[in-house]
Amino acid sequence: MTGAEILIESLLAEGVDTVFGYPGGQIISVYDKLYNYEDRLKHVLVRHEQGAVHAAQGYARATSRPGVVIVTSGPGATNVITGVADAMVDSTPIIVIAGQVGNAALGTDAFQETDLVGMTCPIDKWTFQIRKPEDVAPAVAKAFHIASTGRPGPVVLDFTRDAQNGVAEFKYNKCDYIRTYSPCPEPDEELIDQAVEMINRAEKPFVVFGQGVLLSHAEQQLLEFLRKGGIPAASTMLGLSALPSDFPYYVGMAGMHGSIAANMMTQECDLLIAVGMRFDDRVVGKASEYARNAKVIHIDIDATEIGKIIPADIGILGDAGTVLEKITEKMQFSFHDEWAVKAREYDKVENTEICLPETAPVEGPIHMGEVVAKVAAVSNNEAIVVTDVGQNQLMSARYSRFSKTRSFISSGGLGTMGFGLPAAIGAKMGQPDREVCAFLGDGGLQMTIQELGTIMQEHVAVKIVVLNNNWLGNVRQWQELFYKERYSQTRMLNPDYSLIAQAYGIKYRLVEDRAELDEAVKEMIEAKEPYILNVHVEEAGMVYPMIPGGKCVDEILIRKDEWFDNGR
Amino acid sequence: MTMEDKLYIISVYSENQVGLLTSISSIFTRRNINIESLTVFPSEFPKIHHFTFRIFTTPESAAQVVRLIEKKVEVVKAFWFECNEVNASEHDIVNQFLINRN
Repeated sequence: MTGAEILIESLLAEGVDTVFGYPGGQIISVYDKLYNYEDRLKHVLVRHEQGAVHAAQGYARATSRPGVVIVTSGPGATNVITGVADAMVDSTPIIVIAGQVGNAALGTDAFQETDLVGMTCPIDKWTFQIRKPEDVAPAVAKAFHIASTGRPGPVVLDFTRDAQNGVAEFKYNKCDYIRTYSPCPEPDEELIDQAVEMINRAEKPFVVFGQGVLLSHAEQQLLEFLRKGGIPAASTMLGLSALPSDFPYYVGMAGMHGSIAANMMTQECDLLIAVGMRFDDRVVGKASEYARNAKVIHIDIDATEIGKIIPADIGILGDAGTVLEKITEKMQFSFHDEWAVKAREYDKVENTEICLPETAPVEGPIHMGEVVAKVAAVSNNEAIVVTDVGQNQLMSARYSRFSKTRSFISSGGLGTMGFGLPAAIGAKMGQPDREVCAFLGDGGLQMTIQELGTIMQEHVAVKIVVLNNNWLGNVRQWQELFYKERYSQTRMLNPDYSLIAQAYGIKYRLVEDRAELDEAVKEMIEAKEPYILNVHVEEAGMVYPMIPGGKCVDEILIRKDEWFDNGR
Repeated sequence: MTMEDKLYIISVYSENQVGLLTSISSIFTRRNINIESLTVFPSEFPKIHHFTFRIFTTPESAAQVVRLIEKKVEVVKAFWFECNEVNASEHDIVNQFLINRN
């Protein structure tokens, strides 16, 4: 068997059914062999390699299985780098297989040769250059093991032409052990006991959980832990949907545009329990003042995260599910009702001052939050919500409601505009039976708009909501608030999306009037095919509440020039 | 470099892997830590390489750098200590690790 065939057989042995890719000169041998496997391995032809990697990320986030990308060398490989960096910081398991020139041509500036190993090894979990056909199967096996265990992440395989065309025997052994790699440390029982004691003693305990809960499949363990301890909990943006939105102890999203309750309670709690999260600066604000009255228990699978930003009184290294289960078993039943209901008091203010005016305005242009809330209601809170980056993302995070896990897919740490459309394609291909709804700004849509071609060719029934305000809205918001309304290069004109939709043969509707919104959203959700809903929303829309960068998380703007006042 | 910075040695035992030196040195450069000197040589253990870096930094940052280096898949163990110290225990620790995980 050639190395190219071994690659495909190895992918099948790992249970891969879908790959996202784009052919080219130095990966052509793999594509030639792929031709024989069309009935067993679905290849999705994207329109740009960045689309392939974001689609693989969407696929991985929706299914929890690694997403696979196949691209050519040189520009094909450099075009996936944004997605590799994105998958690293957002802990997404993907495997990128990139063609490379022949061994003899390495380092000679050959046509479409680039130093992919040098470029990706600082920003991925593992990089390996395959130079011999007999190395293909072991490299793929290691790649899957490394990408999907411990804190998941991207793996890059740089696949030289000699390794693709050379012949070797195929024998596949799954990898479950690498001696220098211990992905899942057993939690220290002594630390668990100390944590239990600290939790039992706490009067105002508070949980902030992140994507680690989803990655560990620890949703149920978290729920039971919160129930038994009577502990209110906030989510990071990437942790959204790990708890159902209507769970009584859930107080919303923490951070810059999170709920007032989540941020105020962070400052008031006497014990902060962080589960599978990494204290991103968008969550923490001014780190030296964060959770200033609290002791901190930090549970994470990645040793480099514990104590990196916020010092932990107890840092427990391990899988979130295992650790939570052990703690729940040992701790006592508690109620902190007086403390937990504080959230509802903050919610009252937030609802009156911010949420209701945003989601149910009676006059003026359509608001972004209004559209998101409408889609959530019509889809019965069951859709997978995919977002781009910016106000569309923040509004989707704030006003979507979730009843199922793995329902929020967004570029968190890297904040990659252009992520939304291809990620939605990947999510839908991974979860064809679920409704997938992408909220995109007009800026982000135009960064990867070419992937409408992929939707056309593959008939991917994603629902695309364009929150169209003719601005790069999030930057515009910062310019309005912090740069004296000097709107430098944020005004952006749009093409006629009806013609674009028509060109790609995608169903389309424009909504400019509030009276039409309800019916249009219903029509979109009921459609069985891809659908673009272009909603003209208010141009000067702002996302509140907002903790300006570097401020403490209890310094919350609820309007321009108006701070949240705890006294009223 | 600030007043608190001192000279530390970061000592790394690792399996040989193309690109590893790049990815370890990028851990330093990303944090604005200059590498004062660098040596790479075969260690006393078969097929295990020994890297040493001398850097000016704080103890907290040296400890975090070591954790980040240990996160690399091929790295067996990494250590940090002040430049004029001698770390007598690292041979035994690496030796024990290799015995346990083989």
